[in-house]
Amino acid sequence: MFKNQEMEINLGPQHPSTHGVLRVKLRLDGETITHCRPMIGYLHRGVEKICENQTFFQGQVWTDRMDYCSAVANNLGWAEANEKLFGITVPRRAQYIRTLLNEFNRLASHLIWLATHALDIGAMTVFLYAFREREDILDMNEAFCGSRLTTTAFRIGGLREDLPPGFEKLVKKFLAKFPTCLEEYENLLNENRIWKKRTVGVAKLSAEDAIAMGVTGPVLRAAGVPYDIRKAFPYAAYAEMDFEVPTRTEADTYARYLVRMAEMRQSARIIQQCMDGMPEGPVMAKLPKILKAEVNEVYHATEAPKGELGYYLVGEKGSGNPYRFHVRAPGFINLQSLPKMAEGGLIADIVAAIGTLDIVLGEIDR
Amino acid sequence: MGINQLSTLEHILITTKVEKVMNWSRATSVWPVTFGLACCAIEMMAAGASRFDFDRFGAGIFRATPRQADLMIIAGTVTYKMAPVIKTLYDQMPEPKWVIAMGSCATAGGPFDSYHTIQGVDKVIPVDVFIPGCPPRPESLIYGFMKLQDKIMTSSLADRYKDIFEEVG
Amino acid sequence: MTEPVPQIPEVPAAPAGPYVYDYAASPQRQIVMPKTVPLPSLKTYQAEVVAAAAADEAKWVKMQADFETAKTKAEAEGKDAPKPPVRPVPRKDDNDMKTPWPQEAKDADLLLLQERLGGKVEETFEQAGELTCQVSKDAILEALQLCRADAGLNYEMLADQSATHYPAATGFAFSVVYHLTSISRRKRLRLRILVPEGFTPESACAVYPGANWMEREIYDMLGIRFANHPDMTRILCPEDWEGYPLRKDYPVVGWGQRDISFREDRGGRLDLIAQQKAGQLGINLKQPKAE
Repeated sequence: MFKNQEMEINLGPQHPSTHGVLRVKLRLDGETITHCRPMIGYLHRGVEKICENQTFFQGQVWTDRMDYCSAVANNLGWAEANEKLFGITVPRRAQYIRTLLNEFNRLASHLIWLATHALDIGAMTVFLYAFREREDILDMNEAFCGSRLTTTAFRIGGLREDLPPGFEKLVKKFLAKFPTCLEEYENLLNENRIWKKRTVGVAKLSAEDAIAMGVTGPVLRAAGVPYDIRKAFPYAAYAEMDFEVPTRTEADTYARYLVRMAEMRQSARIIQQCMDGMPEGPVMAKLPKILKAEVNEVYHATEAPKGELGYYLVGEKGSGNPYRFHVRAPGFINLQSLPKMAEGGLIADIVAAIGTLDIVLGEIDR
Repeated sequence: MGINQLSTLEHILITTKVEKVMNWSRATSVWPVTFGLACCAIEMMAAGASRFDFDRFGAGIFRATPRQADLMIIAGTVTYKMAPVIKTLYDQMPEPKWVIAMGSCATAGGPFDSYHTIQGVDKVIPVDVFIPGCPPRPESLIYGFMKLQDKIMTSSLADRYKDIFEEVG
Repeated sequence: MTEPVPQIPEVPAAPAGPYVYDYAASPQRQIVMPKTVPLPSLKTYQAEVVAAAAADEAKWVKMQADFETAKTKAEAEGKDAPKPPVRPVPRKDDNDMKTPWPQEAKDADLLLLQERLGGKVEETFEQAGELTCQVSKDAILEALQLCRADAGLNYEMLADQSATHYPAATGFAFSVVYHLTSISRRKRLRLRILVPEGFTPESACAVYPGANWMEREIYDMLGIRFANHPDMTRILCPEDWEGYPLRKDYPVVGWGQRDISFREDRGGRLDLIAQQKAGQLGINLKQPKAE
């Protein structure tokens, strides 16, 4: 029951800081949160049910719209899951191009995270700077597949087309100026007293809690566990890439910020290696005209910018549609740890907690 | 004195109708409420960011509360669980208010023809401008916004109060 | 809903013109119940392979027998003998697709599970590089505890928990799948149970607290309740939603809840709340209008 001075308040579905339509029911004692319950489902579009009626090829369209900050990461996971289901080997050049685009979209997603997280905490300049960089990445998306945001970039078995002419120039130009941009953001935020006061020691999630909850991604790595699917279960061309997995031990918001900034640096490194070592060859595997499944189930997980993105597909014999299409969204699992992070803290810290979890309601609600 | 030169008085006076002044002031300072639901919200943010600056239309200040806003840009899919919330927010906006349905999900349900998606936000609130696209480019959003500005400029005070005028006679 | 048979909602009237789209025939409005049970399993695969080989052999024997009868008939009539039959060779596809088939379980983890759980393990096999272990539905909590606690297995994280509806199956209606990850050993494992309609499996929250929302989603989408779950309520659909969407007898467009018109209710919700409150206080808000 309520104590005398407790207040129940709604951090409603419409809120500038909830990164979409998330509703959080809070019970406050003054400014301290005593109970927190996130409620989702305001963007539940029935993607899993829809994809059971679509062919295997058509399912990609709905995957872009789940984690809409970095659609290519979803596309890669979907393509790899389908290739595992059918036992298709993808040519090496296609793997390299896939890795390249995936890392660009990891940068794009982290830039959105930085922009919105800083905006919530109050640093509005970073929003404009980060979106300026993101526009260049979206230009590259558009050069490759025609669409800025919802890309549908890959196909089962490889890619539809090779890289367009002039793509290397775009990448070189971007990579030349990107490290200075990162330094710009770090100059604004790293040693900023206000930023540190609002992020150091806020929204802690220890490693045991994180593993027990199934939390993955930068949240887990900032707690000290160096678990990155690109290194643990390599896919695409990551086995041939040389990069580090940044980890920290403090497990608070500032640590997650540092981890993601370091990840952006590593992504730039991977992109450079992809461009340097790109092999020649075909970009599409030889496939039969119609893909009919056999009785098979696969679970394939990739490292999306938000965490472990998994696709669980079940095939039916002789059917062109998946029998079950389930997506293990990182945001869905990560959001379960919000009560652990927020309870006991101030109400201003829950905004930092939601921002640091880096959730996208599109993939949480599917 | 030539035909094209202004007389002394015309340097400091403009004659116009009250309606035109009100429409002009409403159209050039439309303040939207932050209502991004899904992927179109990212394109709306990109429209408000550095490359496609939304602030030059006077619409840069996104108000967090609907009670201080004129415009509601429904950017994203409207679901069954969210529809009463949208209705409440729309009712909380003071007149004059306009609605832009951005993207195919807000226009007609988009690619999501499923059990939980409302096929178009005009089944919940009246819409002034529909912008197709999935997601519409920021340039499309700006074009739709300019169309809304045209609509506001050519609207008359009598539009919203037609029933009352007809009652009074 | 109190109607005995829920109806798929009416289609909007089609406009006349050169291109008319038949809304009623769109795949989202159909309910197609699956006739097969696509549950991957080594036993069924081996049975199928044996059956296919037997059928092939029978066909070849019949072809030869037919040839013999045709030859004798031709000799009797004095015509030339027909051509002898050629054994049909399966066509070789030269594409990059090699379907992964279930194979015998050789991995140490699966053998360890079989050893420890004994009769509770119904089946183990490997397919597409993934290890699958099917346990009996009452033993799932024990299996999960074993996977987490045992030093040789050490599966620290529950990556995903999901379920599928198999309406054409006999003896069970759903399969609930648990994907476990061992971070330290870099291994993945899949545990599976087959659940009939109405059975409540034990919740995995006792072993992996992260299963909380995953099981709520399974309940919301498929109707499988879990025992000893801290909060068994709907999570994605609204609390008062009826029906379980991911079942195969639920159409994609739903049973008509989404077509409710919210617009007629202009201010209705607030009016209703106001009237309720006024009713509690004894005030009559519905005043007659002066004519």
